[in-house]
Amino acid sequence: MFLGLLFGLGFGWFVFPQLLYSEVTQPIPFNHKVHVEDAGMSCEDCHRFRDDGSYAGFPTTEDCAQCHAVATGGETPGEKAIDKFVTEYVDTGKEVVWQTYQYQPDNVYFTHSAHQHLECAQCHPDLGKSETTPVLYRNKITGYSKDTMKMWQCERCHAENGVSNACHVCHK
Amino acid sequence: MSLTRRGFLFVLGAGAGVTFSPVLWKLTDDVSIWTQNWSWIPRLQYGALAKKPGLSKAFGGGAPVQVLTVAGRPAEALGNPDHPLSQGGIPAVAAPEVQMLYKEARVKGPMKKVGDGKFEPIAWEDAEAMLAAKLKEAGAATAMITGDVNGTTAEVFSGLLKGLGSSDVYPMPCEQQTAAKGWQDVMGGRGTPGFDIENSDCILALGADLLESWGTPVRNAKAFGRTRPTGEKPGATWIACAPLKTRTVAVADIFVAVPPGGEATFALGLANMLIAAGASTGAADFDAFKSLAAGYTPAKVQDLIGVTPEALKKVAEALRAAKKPLVVPGSAISQGGSAVAFVAGMALNLLLGNVGKPGGVRALPELPTVVSGALSRDKLLDNDLVAWLSAVESGKKAAPKLLMVYEANPRYALPAAAKLGAALDKAGFVVSFSSFMDETAAKADLIMPNPLSLERYDDLQTPYGSGFASYTLGTPVTKPVANAKSSADVLLAAAQKVGVNLGFSSFEAVLEAKMAAVEGLSGFIAGETQPWQAIAQGSAPMGAAVADGLKKGKAWASIRTVEQNGIQTGAALLAKAGFKKPAADFPLLIAPLFQLNMGTPSMAMPEYNLPTLQESEAKGAAMYVGLNAATAKAVGVSQGDTVTVSSEAGSFKARVDIDESVMPGVVAAYLGFGHTAWDKFAKGRGDNVNKALAIAEEPGTGLSTWAAVAVKIAKG
Repeated sequence: MFLGLLFGLGFGWFVFPQLLYSEVTQPIPFNHKVHVEDAGMSCEDCHRFRDDGSYAGFPTTEDCAQCHAVATGGETPGEKAIDKFVTEYVDTGKEVVWQTYQYQPDNVYFTHSAHQHLECAQCHPDLGKSETTPVLYRNKITGYSKDTMKMWQCERCHAENGVSNACHVCHK
Repeated sequence: MSLTRRGFLFVLGAGAGVTFSPVLWKLTDDVSIWTQNWSWIPRLQYGALAKKPGLSKAFGGGAPVQVLTVAGRPAEALGNPDHPLSQGGIPAVAAPEVQMLYKEARVKGPMKKVGDGKFEPIAWEDAEAMLAAKLKEAGAATAMITGDVNGTTAEVFSGLLKGLGSSDVYPMPCEQQTAAKGWQDVMGGRGTPGFDIENSDCILALGADLLESWGTPVRNAKAFGRTRPTGEKPGATWIACAPLKTRTVAVADIFVAVPPGGEATFALGLANMLIAAGASTGAADFDAFKSLAAGYTPAKVQDLIGVTPEALKKVAEALRAAKKPLVVPGSAISQGGSAVAFVAGMALNLLLGNVGKPGGVRALPELPTVVSGALSRDKLLDNDLVAWLSAVESGKKAAPKLLMVYEANPRYALPAAAKLGAALDKAGFVVSFSSFMDETAAKADLIMPNPLSLERYDDLQTPYGSGFASYTLGTPVTKPVANAKSSADVLLAAAQKVGVNLGFSSFEAVLEAKMAAVEGLSGFIAGETQPWQAIAQGSAPMGAAVADGLKKGKAWASIRTVEQNGIQTGAALLAKAGFKKPAADFPLLIAPLFQLNMGTPSMAMPEYNLPTLQESEAKGAAMYVGLNAATAKAVGVSQGDTVTVSSEAGSFKARVDIDESVMPGVVAAYLGFGHTAWDKFAKGRGDNVNKALAIAEEPGTGLSTWAAVAVKIAKG
């Protein structure tokens, strides 16, 4: 019985998550550290608000092409990533389909504008000093990322900060 | 295989282990989320929000709009706050412009008829070759019907037909035709009458459904709104005369119930009182008018149309007390109106002394034509489609070998549908440029779909009713969703193939020339100064980058008016007029209603507007006609009865709604129902009132009218 218990716990805590999530990588390897520390860029240079107040999320191909319009022909991993971006996206005029770690369903009206007073890393992984992009774990049943914030997390933060938890605040 | 005790305990332990892990709870949660993620649920598309200017031609008066785009994709049509004809408002039929891009009834590409009601898709080059061949073959026996008299497309059509030796280019019936006939032919006026509602302090809507569908309804409603500041005294008195409580009547200060066809009598009764109070005009025929009006005593008016002397006096006193009174004559359905009623209303304006003044009638100039050989708008309006089709039906005129139809649905929207439909049947080959599978397209031989307003270049020249001249450019907001091609471009190319030189190879170039022509006129880009402000001040801003402003969706406006010389009251025509009470065989008068949420003559009610229908208007597949209880009792029907309403021209079916706002002896009926084509949303809902609108040739003007149609009503 004890062996069975160990097996059940092992399956539930360690094997099941492996089976439940698929691993997704970003289409282009991205080095945040080199952009922040070497190029002196700030988070808002790429993750910015549009003029209309909505949050752009990721930079467009046109944004990235301001610096990376021409292939380098280099052999380092970074140079290869740049060349992949230039040949597959800049030259073809396509947008990079960046994967969102915390994509919310359409029935949730989330605005970054109302959450600007919070630090990014309070909700998102702190990637500013990362040299690689983390793997996105996508739930095979729901299709959502493992990091997608659940409703109870939204509600707890609202409650702790005295913000209304009425339905219409998030569900329009 | 048997389960040992050890094995049983292992399973029990494993079960306990799984229970104390996230498996069950996580799976339950995930499955509940999975059940909400079906593949057919549309996903929102996120992206940068922007507003692009556009021009909806969903109804005759046009609607300048701003289109909200998300990542460049149109999402919603909104009013254009910069534009004086919109001021941020949008008519109900134009509000679903974006959704209409994807409407089920859209014609997906060019098609040719292969059997009764059967079509097969063909390539654009084949369709264009077929059109060119038919144009060559038909030559001078080519005719065209257009539903848009305010666009430069009409110049392309009339220029092409002139080059072919044909003068048979006809607009669909519209308010402008009645006005042009009355103002220019009868009263000797020049230009197109415009109505400076914004600067008036007393507006009498003489039959016109001013705040719903007449002329420039959004501009009219905005003017009304400005005279009703919250918590303050109203800035103008609004008077409406109509046979029932229309949407205009619902907000008017004074309502006078006048039967269909009784407007001229009511106006002459008012003239009687105004002249008795000292009103006069310098018109050469004033003496004749004065003696005519003297016969329309309050007692006689009451006898003819039932308006009491007290009601007549109340209106006359309101007009007299106002500093800038204005009478706006018009048809309740913006077509088929009586020129006599129009002239009677305009004669009141002469008596009130408001012609050419702020808050009064302003004669507006036409914009210059740019296409070689094109008809001016006034000349185009002279062509009476209903009279021509009646002559074709009776054999007095030859049927066209080739008939082209643009932005119009004559198979549905013309009066006496059976008679005029028979005339359309006689056409040799019919080409429809319709964007939708409407009744006319469904019977055409070739369909060459035009892009919708938001997908094409177009323009809008001074819509009828406006108090100022204006020009608006329409630029595409998105690429065509269907395989559609601009009809103006198609016909410009066809003109070249048949050897007609119109001076342009693309419609965009035509519009560039139009903008250049407009730039040469006296006018300004409206924005900081609106036209009605300039009219009130007596001066307009000078100098502006016209083409640049137009491309940004702004309006070019002009406060210039056409000088009048020897304008008359039209007494000779009015003397021939008289209200005729319906005879015993058709004892009731029909009051057709035109509400923009229910569609237009060329556009079936958009399904997005279905929630705006009231249960007293339509329910399920049935539509309602309105009668008051006394009328219903007299004809032996009651609430909910299915009835047939018949005239000399035809009949339609409906159910009865007892509506005490309808005056005695009148049946109110909504246009817009009874489609036999389009899609499941429009087809088979109610019946087509146009079938019963009998055509009459108006004595004295010869104009085809259906302003006072006598009908009978019977159960079943």
